[in-house]
Amino acid sequence: MSGASSTRRFSRKRGPEHRPWLDWMVLPGLVAVGLVIAYPVVRTFQLATTDYNALSGMDPRPVGAENFQKLVDDPIFWEALRNTAVYTFGSVAVSALLGVLLALLTENLVGRSRILKTLLLTPWAVPFVVVAFLFRYMFDEQTGVVNAVLLQTGVIDEAVPWLVSSTWALPAVVAANVWTQTPFFFLVFSAALAAVPNEVIEAARVDRTRGWTMAYRIKLPYLRNAALVASLLMVISNFNDFAKIWAMTEGGPGYASTTFVVWVYRLAFTSFDLGYSSAIGVVWLVLLMVFAIAYVRLLRREA
Amino acid sequence: MIRPPDPQASPQSRRHPRRWLRGCAVGLAGAVLLAACGGGGGDDDSSDADGPVTITWANWATAEQTTKPAIEQVIADFEAEHPDIKIESEAIAFSDIAQQLVRRTQSGNPPDIAQLSGNDTIALAATGALAPLDQFVDDELRASINEADLENGTYEDELVAFPWVDSPQGFWYNKTLMSQAGLDPAAPPATIDELNDAMAAIKQAAPDVTPLALDTTNRAFGMTSNWAWMKTFGAEPFTEDGAQADTPEYTAYLEWMRSLAENDYIVTGPKIGEFRPRAAQNQVAFMWDQNLLQGVIQETNGMSDEEFFDTWGVTTLPTGPAGESYSVDLGHQLVMFGQSEHQEAAWTFIEYLATSENAIVNYTLAEGASLPPLSDPQGEVAELMDTPVNQAYVEQIMPTSTKPPYGQAFSAAYDPVMAGLQRILTSDASIDEVAGATHDQLASVVE
Repeated sequence: MSGASSTRRFSRKRGPEHRPWLDWMVLPGLVAVGLVIAYPVVRTFQLATTDYNALSGMDPRPVGAENFQKLVDDPIFWEALRNTAVYTFGSVAVSALLGVLLALLTENLVGRSRILKTLLLTPWAVPFVVVAFLFRYMFDEQTGVVNAVLLQTGVIDEAVPWLVSSTWALPAVVAANVWTQTPFFFLVFSAALAAVPNEVIEAARVDRTRGWTMAYRIKLPYLRNAALVASLLMVISNFNDFAKIWAMTEGGPGYASTTFVVWVYRLAFTSFDLGYSSAIGVVWLVLLMVFAIAYVRLLRREA
Repeated sequence: MIRPPDPQASPQSRRHPRRWLRGCAVGLAGAVLLAACGGGGGDDDSSDADGPVTITWANWATAEQTTKPAIEQVIADFEAEHPDIKIESEAIAFSDIAQQLVRRTQSGNPPDIAQLSGNDTIALAATGALAPLDQFVDDELRASINEADLENGTYEDELVAFPWVDSPQGFWYNKTLMSQAGLDPAAPPATIDELNDAMAAIKQAAPDVTPLALDTTNRAFGMTSNWAWMKTFGAEPFTEDGAQADTPEYTAYLEWMRSLAENDYIVTGPKIGEFRPRAAQNQVAFMWDQNLLQGVIQETNGMSDEEFFDTWGVTTLPTGPAGESYSVDLGHQLVMFGQSEHQEAAWTFIEYLATSENAIVNYTLAEGASLPPLSDPQGEVAELMDTPVNQAYVEQIMPTSTKPPYGQAFSAAYDPVMAGLQRILTSDASIDEVAGATHDQLASVVE
């Protein structure tokens, strides 16, 4: 046996070999995915082009792009879009900022004081509905701790109806979301900070780099990829967040804190207008996909 | 490592392991498909000819802690009296029951019977899912039930919902707080102007008290709760003829609601149930609520009947510019689904719940804290109904009952109406602008 043929045989044994029968093993997974993901998406696109109310007792009636035209002319759509953007990006921006600050401040904790890091992570473990009710009580106009503190410290002269104010309802819900989301960013940034090469830090120290300059010029650039990934995850999560908003304000007062998901829920499950709500769902899906693709491309370019 | 051949394996599978694996994969995929498509298709116990018939009953009576023990006892009593019928109760929250039933009906899996109320009853009837009940109701039974209740359960000339309990909304007034504010507790406000004066007096005497508790939440129940108030201003935001939110009457109603918010006479946001504990603590002067308020207050603060009647009274809605009082009956009804395979047994249970003395005494008038739909109650039922509150409801309030335009349009219209009302209560948006926007939205959804 020649050496060359021996090598070929070895490669065939150990290297990647295409085994067609293995492809069939994917079939159950594909069927499951088709049932639970593809079917609802396709059905949503189909319903979006129909006039269909589940209470009418009538079959869906094809209307083409009428629902999308109605959407463009609907002032609630634009208000929900604005609220969704404020809730999604406002929460991510503030949470990321707080997360990175906390990560930098606690980076050098040693010994027992490291328990502080664990404590900072606890809001992440609290169920969303519990968070919502917690903040609902905190923001209560009559008995809430927020008004009590602000009145005591003289920041406000009279109690603010946080959750039933057209002005303050959305910021109050964002505040609750920031509280629960900051630990996630803190965790991600802490891990990323730990991965900054020691050589880089040492070199910077040799150059007498300290404090803010060290954080801003040396460490923060290393957090960029982590920030991108974490932000994308949280943007998608916030875009789809229902529990906190519903439990705190139900999208009100009026439509002051109504986001896409709350609006779709109302239309689909209390008015049963499945055609129109599916059209909103399609727009919602497309927006998320465009955002996700742009984000992933940005991430690849950074990499 | 190469495994030795499995001596237990068939010769065929040993010869063609790949084909065998491929067959397994296809088989597994088929099993997944069958499981997904064929779920629920099997026979259940209820169709067993030898055993008792099982009736499934979707309701919120067993989902709420206050009513659960009583209704479970009534079910047990029924099963003891009817050993051939078994009741399988499905506890569903009041706010979720309509959407769950619509979805279940569409998927061909409704219960036999359900407890429904208000718009949900007619909305579900409009889907064609409910069985007509006329065939079960003979003349004698029909004559024993309040005519208005039968009318409330009628859709397109067919009785689709049998009245179970009556629960109209009335104008509750706290006599203690009225006295403290210098008002005559024996003379509750009879007009909107008198109510305005009374609320001002209450606010001045007790700034922490909520002068008027009214549900302004954005839900169908919220619009039902406000329907009588709108009507006393001569306003109906929509009718069968279409949107009517741009009328002077509706604007007058919104202006009055704005004045309530500006003067801190009402609190926007809480559901009516969230006001009840405050009412039990004498923190609410006037309240638009059902007769179950009595039970909640007494359970919360331990008041005796005598103490309660000394503290609280209930009467008709103060009249507005239209000069009429109105109320909406938020009573509960029992419906039977057309797909039920045991309609006779289902009807037996419905009739028992609504008309048997045991159910009325131990549930409707006790924990249910409502009124039976009987036109001429007798015996123990009549004795239990002889209270100042029940008399006020039966003799004064129920005659003012009006039925909102329930159905698909109502389900779509509540959101624009209540969202607009919330804007009036929580912002300084122009009333004309809000009324116009509400009208435009209604015109779009009510068609």
